[in-house]
Amino acid sequence: MKQKRKTAAALLAGTALAATVLTGCTSGGGSADGGGPVTQEQIDEAMSTPTTLTFWTWVPDIDQEVALFEQKYPEIDVKVENVGQGLPHYQKLRSAIEAGEGAPDVAQIEYQYIPSFVLSESLLDLADYGAADLEDDYVGWAWNQVSPGDEVWAIPQDIGPMGNLYREDLLTQAGIAEPPATWDDYAAAAKAVKDSTGSYISNLGATQAGQMIGFFWQAGVKPFGYDGAETVKIDVNSDGAKEVADYWTGLIQDDLISTDVDFNDQWYQGLASGKYAGWLTAAWGPVFLQGTAEGTSGQWRAAPLPQWSAGDEVSGNWGGSSDAVLASSENPIAAAELAKFINHDEESAMQLATQQFLFPPQQSVLSDPAFIDQESEFYGGQQVNKLFAEISETVDTDFEWLPFMDYVYSSYEETMGTVIADKGDIAAALDTWQDQLVSYAEDQGFTVE
Amino acid sequence: MTDLDTRAAVTIDTPNYRPPHGRRGRPRPYSASKRRSTLLTVLLWLCVLYFVLPLWWLFVSSTKDTSALFSTFGLWFGPDFSLWDNLVDLFTTRGGLFVRWIGNTVFYALTAAVGATLLSAMAGYAFAKFDFPGKKVLFSITLGAVMIPLTALALPTYLLFAQAGLTDTPWAIIVPSLVSPFGVYLMRVYAADAIDDSLLEAARVDGSGEFRTFWQVGFRLLGPGLVTVFLFSLVGTWNNYFLPLIMLNSSDLYPLTVGLAQIQAAASAGGGSQAAFSTVITGSLVTVIPLVIAFLFLQRYWQSGLSTGSVKG
Amino acid sequence: MTHTPTAARTAARPAERRRTSTSKRKQRTAAYLFILPFFLVFLTMLVVPLFYSGWLSFFESKLIGGEQFAGLANYVRALGDSAFWGSLLRVLAFLLIQVPIMLILALCFALALDSGRARGSRTVRLLIFMPYAVPAVVATLMWGYLYGPDFGPIAQIARAVGLGTPEFLTPGNILGSMMNIVTWEFIGYNMIIMYAALRSIPAELYEAAEIDGAGQFRVAWSVKIPAIRPAIMLTVIFSIIGSFQLFNEPSLLNTIAPDAITNSFMPNYYAYNLAFINQELNYAAAIAFLLGLLIAIVSYIVQLSEQRRERRERRLS
Repeated sequence: MKQKRKTAAALLAGTALAATVLTGCTSGGGSADGGGPVTQEQIDEAMSTPTTLTFWTWVPDIDQEVALFEQKYPEIDVKVENVGQGLPHYQKLRSAIEAGEGAPDVAQIEYQYIPSFVLSESLLDLADYGAADLEDDYVGWAWNQVSPGDEVWAIPQDIGPMGNLYREDLLTQAGIAEPPATWDDYAAAAKAVKDSTGSYISNLGATQAGQMIGFFWQAGVKPFGYDGAETVKIDVNSDGAKEVADYWTGLIQDDLISTDVDFNDQWYQGLASGKYAGWLTAAWGPVFLQGTAEGTSGQWRAAPLPQWSAGDEVSGNWGGSSDAVLASSENPIAAAELAKFINHDEESAMQLATQQFLFPPQQSVLSDPAFIDQESEFYGGQQVNKLFAEISETVDTDFEWLPFMDYVYSSYEETMGTVIADKGDIAAALDTWQDQLVSYAEDQGFTVE
Repeated sequence: MTDLDTRAAVTIDTPNYRPPHGRRGRPRPYSASKRRSTLLTVLLWLCVLYFVLPLWWLFVSSTKDTSALFSTFGLWFGPDFSLWDNLVDLFTTRGGLFVRWIGNTVFYALTAAVGATLLSAMAGYAFAKFDFPGKKVLFSITLGAVMIPLTALALPTYLLFAQAGLTDTPWAIIVPSLVSPFGVYLMRVYAADAIDDSLLEAARVDGSGEFRTFWQVGFRLLGPGLVTVFLFSLVGTWNNYFLPLIMLNSSDLYPLTVGLAQIQAAASAGGGSQAAFSTVITGSLVTVIPLVIAFLFLQRYWQSGLSTGSVKG
Repeated sequence: MTHTPTAARTAARPAERRRTSTSKRKQRTAAYLFILPFFLVFLTMLVVPLFYSGWLSFFESKLIGGEQFAGLANYVRALGDSAFWGSLLRVLAFLLIQVPIMLILALCFALALDSGRARGSRTVRLLIFMPYAVPAVVATLMWGYLYGPDFGPIAQIARAVGLGTPEFLTPGNILGSMMNIVTWEFIGYNMIIMYAALRSIPAELYEAAEIDGAGQFRVAWSVKIPAIRPAIMLTVIFSIIGSFQLFNEPSLLNTIAPDAITNSFMPNYYAYNLAFINQELNYAAAIAFLLGLLIAIVSYIVQLSEQRRERRERRLS
């Protein structure tokens, strides 16, 4: 069907641009020659053939890891492009895929977006390219994200198991000696902190779907499901989700939690100035915060998320991404090797963790003393990496997404974001969100469970 | 507003209509003797504050480091003058990519502006000075084109360009910017006014070909009109954000607008590195300066070009 | 009758008629050659994508099930789409509030400068025009900072005088804040068009009025403004089209205030989001077409009423 549109486009372009070259569809075929797993000979041959690969990613300075790859395979030339971060990146990727022209060989993709590219059959199954053997090297739930079935759609790059970063000085001032262990404790602490310091114990970004979904994840709520074909499960207004929502509604309406839009300059300053006494964030948060709130160095501490039942140890995930090979790549073997190398090669993976500060999903790095024993001045000498490495083991392993997360997030902004910003009833907004998602899914021809 | 500048529309049923006694550049012998009004002067200058303060803020902020940006009063300088440091940061981030973006912008804007001016001048000249079947229809279509909400057609346009292999090349930015219906309109009005038919007739009697006449007689007389169309096309392309945003993937090819928006997004998202709002702000300042200078220096020309264009509407 | 010297000459010298007709043909060919380059680009860059979009708007494409002919279904859907209507309402607000304010201010500035009674009016003119040279990307970024509730200078000043913190970026106020940005960007542009028109009013037209003792306001109202009516109309039409096509401002403000700018904040922005986020390209094309149609209708109505008025006045005088 897509072909039809393409033909029409070609026709029109043809009449218009008279004698221009019509570059046809250049899908180089997804599977390895012959169908079976690629052999070492095939790999060796591909890696010694002069090849140019394009790699779309927004990881800053990833050139350093790419350089390691090029050093190992001098015949392969990698062109790194940053076409935008998050949404703009996916939009460009989709446009290029749709046009059948200009898509990269390897692309960074966040876990929640993988299903949408699986749906459009845009990703190469890496199982035949030696990725199937990598399963045991990764944190279980992260591997499930890239490989929900037999196929392997991407190589995990970084993860964001969630924890609690807080200002020890402000909490102490409020008479709180230990980080809140349960959400009830957290609510009580929020009140104490607000009363004695005037700070919010943390901020819930009004439009930050990733954070809220991370809370759902921790609470064992499974809002989404996708069978890889035509059936989706949408259940964002389940009782469990509403419980989480009501918890936040209460705190927000009591003015104990702020709902500022996050990741803009106001919010940065809120972190730096003590407007917020903490941040419920992911494993990539600690280093990020360090760069943002330099002035408060030494006063921060890290802890696991508060729990719904005392004594539990569960967390959710927020963020993180993987590298996938596009099915349209003309050099699937070399592309697959690049995706694997960047995220799996010992040196490269370690460097990603220590220089680019991506929190690693790889067991070998997560157990490497060079990584987990690092003590951070900013956190009063705490071994923050070790803490988050432990948390990463407590993330629920089965969490699925919908194959249209762009829409899910944008719909979240419309339905949830406005209500959260207005300090309204979040549980009620979940119903609206649910309705929008179901109606969109049905319009798009999905069977909704 | 989006592409208003160069693709603006005009509506005229009577392009040759002139206001009674139409004469340009009338002398105003009495105006020197006019009394100056202090009240008006004060009022006007107060209003000017509204237009200038944001730019003043931009300049002042470019001299601050990120922490001063958020801790000092926005409209006055901070304790340290960090303009130089910010500039160094700006020109060295991501391997000095910003310099490249400046170069790209200058290249796109100049090429597109020269091309658009030339195409508009030729078309406008033809519309003003020749009679040919279909003239009225073609002119109406040209003007009607401004109604098209171009951004809404972004994806279809992208798909067509991709089929022609034009995406992610400078052509994707330059070629669409060559179309300037407003330019055609302006050149038509200007040519009708500035080029006397008897001159052309004389040239024809002398046996000069139409194209030679255009180059040697017409082009020279169109001067200020050309500068006007050139400048407005220049601004249009220089400030264009949307077209390059969807058409380009290589950061090597970005113009300043897209590059700025990208480092702004990167600064906001942090992405492991430090948020560099001061870099973004300094980059904005650097982006604005060349155009302001271009307008200042060429104002004599574009204003006279515009004054002809606008009365005839 | 300044534009018919050729005809006049031909009539005067009938003997040359034959030569003229061959040269007419030559001229016609030349004319087509002159407009050819423009129309070639025009056709490929505007007309073809337009027709392609039009064609697309009659199809329906689903994530599951692919593309099929849908007739007018997309158009029917658009007419019942409350988000689309909501966005049009916001445009209406722009047309009724922002456009008049912007143009009236521009006119006032133009008249004030043209009167020659202010000191430094040359500089004033340039300073007012300067924002036009600022890319929308930079303008929005700048105003985003200026609006900031904690560190924006406006809030800093408001707090210093005890007015509390003004909230520019809340869902209720963002439309007004956007209007301000657009006004700031385009007053100068409109002012220059009007000013240029004012400069070309023949002096004798109102010198008489001045000698009669009419005050400045009187002269402005009954001589100058009527004389530059065509220029004012031009700015009106520009502004109408511009309002319908607003894109940069909502799109860039969305990164600053995502809770306030909805996806369907402005129709053009809505069409863009439909295409790129909802992946409903065909529906987006239909919206774009309706939008274009609406722009044409509104512009036409405005012109028509202006022509009527003009005719009426001519009859009266």
